[in-house]
Amino acid sequence: MLRLENVSHSFKNGNEVLKVLHNIQFEVQKGEMIALLGSSGSGKSTLLNLMAGLMKPTEGHIYIADQDIVKYGENKLAVFRRKHIGFIFQAYELIPTLTIRENVELPLVFQSVSPSKRRKKAMELLEMTGIGDKASLYPSQLSGGQQQRVSIARSLITEPSVIFADEPTGNLDTKTEEEIIRIMMALNESMKTTFVIVTHEMEVAAQMKKTIMLRDGYLVQPEDYITPAAGQRGPNGPSSLPGVPVHTEEAGEVS
Amino acid sequence: MTGISIGCAAIIVAISIGNGAQNYLETEIIGGMKLDEITVTPQGSSGQGEVSGPAPGADRGLLTDDKVQVIQGFDHVKSVIATKQLGYFRAISSDNLINDGFNVVAVDLSKLKEQGNRFKEGGALEQIGAMVLNYGATTGWKDAETSERLMNMINTDPNNPKLWEEYQMYESTVSEMHGKNIQLESMDADKKQLSPQLYVGGVLDVPTGRDAQFAFYDRKAYISFDTAEWLTNSLNLQNRTTSKQRVYDSLTIKVDDLQSIKPLEDLISKLALNASDNLAMRDQVASQLDTFKAIALGIGVFILLLASISIIVAMTMSTHQRRRQIGIMKVLGANMPQIRNMFIVEASLLGLLGGLLGIVFAFLIIKGLNSFIMASAGMSGLQIAVTLETLPIGIAFAVMTGIFSGIYPAISAARTNALLAIKRD
Repeated sequence: MLRLENVSHSFKNGNEVLKVLHNIQFEVQKGEMIALLGSSGSGKSTLLNLMAGLMKPTEGHIYIADQDIVKYGENKLAVFRRKHIGFIFQAYELIPTLTIRENVELPLVFQSVSPSKRRKKAMELLEMTGIGDKASLYPSQLSGGQQQRVSIARSLITEPSVIFADEPTGNLDTKTEEEIIRIMMALNESMKTTFVIVTHEMEVAAQMKKTIMLRDGYLVQPEDYITPAAGQRGPNGPSSLPGVPVHTEEAGEVS
Repeated sequence: MTGISIGCAAIIVAISIGNGAQNYLETEIIGGMKLDEITVTPQGSSGQGEVSGPAPGADRGLLTDDKVQVIQGFDHVKSVIATKQLGYFRAISSDNLINDGFNVVAVDLSKLKEQGNRFKEGGALEQIGAMVLNYGATTGWKDAETSERLMNMINTDPNNPKLWEEYQMYESTVSEMHGKNIQLESMDADKKQLSPQLYVGGVLDVPTGRDAQFAFYDRKAYISFDTAEWLTNSLNLQNRTTSKQRVYDSLTIKVDDLQSIKPLEDLISKLALNASDNLAMRDQVASQLDTFKAIALGIGVFILLLASISIIVAMTMSTHQRRRQIGIMKVLGANMPQIRNMFIVEASLLGLLGGLLGIVFAFLIIKGLNSFIMASAGMSGLQIAVTLETLPIGIAFAVMTGIFSGIYPAISAARTNALLAIKRD
């Protein structure tokens, strides 16, 4: 479903070249729900932008639904995103002048789907996320948790191959955070949609079946994961990340 | 949107003023030009039907009965009316009113109607001594005392505007002349002499398409050729024509098609006659009108240009403010053409709304202009109206301005970098 091959990325800062991602290589299967864990500055947001086709890597290939998106131009990428990628943002990013239902329908507007079909599908998803009764309200009339549910419904409306969630619980309290994670897990289970959740919170990552960890632009060995609560090794163990090539920091190799 | 509204209103007002002025010119000025007429005059004369001496071949350029017959036989000739000027005469009516003067013209009175004249009273009487006055010749009649007083005062104080105002008032006043007798006054060897009594058998109305205030300057009395001969003999007027035939000073030809005017004039010139028409004058007036329209339209376009700049600025600012939304839409799959089209549609809707508001403005402005024209100039003929065909033009200009102004902001919006737009500080 999602495959990264030797993805590296650098930024230019004057004459200085700053490499922020080093030979990232992993694969996510269809229907999997993984966490992309890393502290601030680890390169996880850059990696998310690369996987979503919002940036192009300096090196390497990114395959989504067996298509190498690195080769695509801006307009083709837009069309690709509209069909294959869903987004959940930390700050929800709903259009304030549209109603909840219209916000959910928006990605289908760009696909020129008929209004009646859009409306039906949007209402189904709003019911699934538990806010069907709020369809005619505006984003400002909803709580943060409710807005994030709208964002989840919007990400699902195009039935994408993969949904990227960028710190989806970052703006929420603990109770709502649990609720949102539970909804996403339920949708992943029922709809078999692939989720990649970018987070810096171990608690969130701990709830995922798999975790990929980034540190200073490198993939970190699962053995090196430290859970903040227990101060022990990560929850998944080496066997829980099959096929994930892990950077060996000492040698700088990829195994 | 205010800019677009004002610009659209300016264009509608400009076109409406142009159309109003055109209608006014066509009815009041070009209508009075009688475009379907050719005026024929003798060659080698000043148009008075006189030739200088009995030189051999001098009669060749005369406008004679034979030539009139030939011209009548030409294709596209609707009617022909020959005239002979007897001159400018002071006149005294049977009830002692004096007119400072009008032209006495000999014509075939039965053809006056054919030339588009309408009788207000009476008609064309064929008996000798009958005359027909045109509208202008029924104005300016005043009693002898007033006439003399006014003339004396004007001679002594010619720069007094009040005197001229009073004079103008008498000159424009219409008198009931039908059925009255008139005597013409002529000078013979510095001696005034009066003609026999002439009977006003008919009075003509103001010519169609002409304003009465212009028509009273044209003062004519029409008499038959037999009456003209009788009058010439009575007043010992000179008739120096050597031809044995009846000769005329001018011939007015009405044609059924404006296109045939030039070919007919070529044929007439072959008869050793001069022919002229009013087409050149019409073209000149039309050209002046076109210039006026172009200027008015230019003003409208200039205002729209200013409006356009304000739209570009406003939309560019709006684009900047909505940068984040544009970024989100791009992340959700909107491509560049979709974002661009969205902004262009928005700009054109802005133009449409501005145009509709502009129509309302235009109606109000034109209402005000008409009131102003009536109050200040009293030109009842020059009324400006917003015609239906002007409205789509105004709307089209407004929408086009909206679209053109929206292109740059739309392209700018479409080029927004989604990643930078959604990035939070």
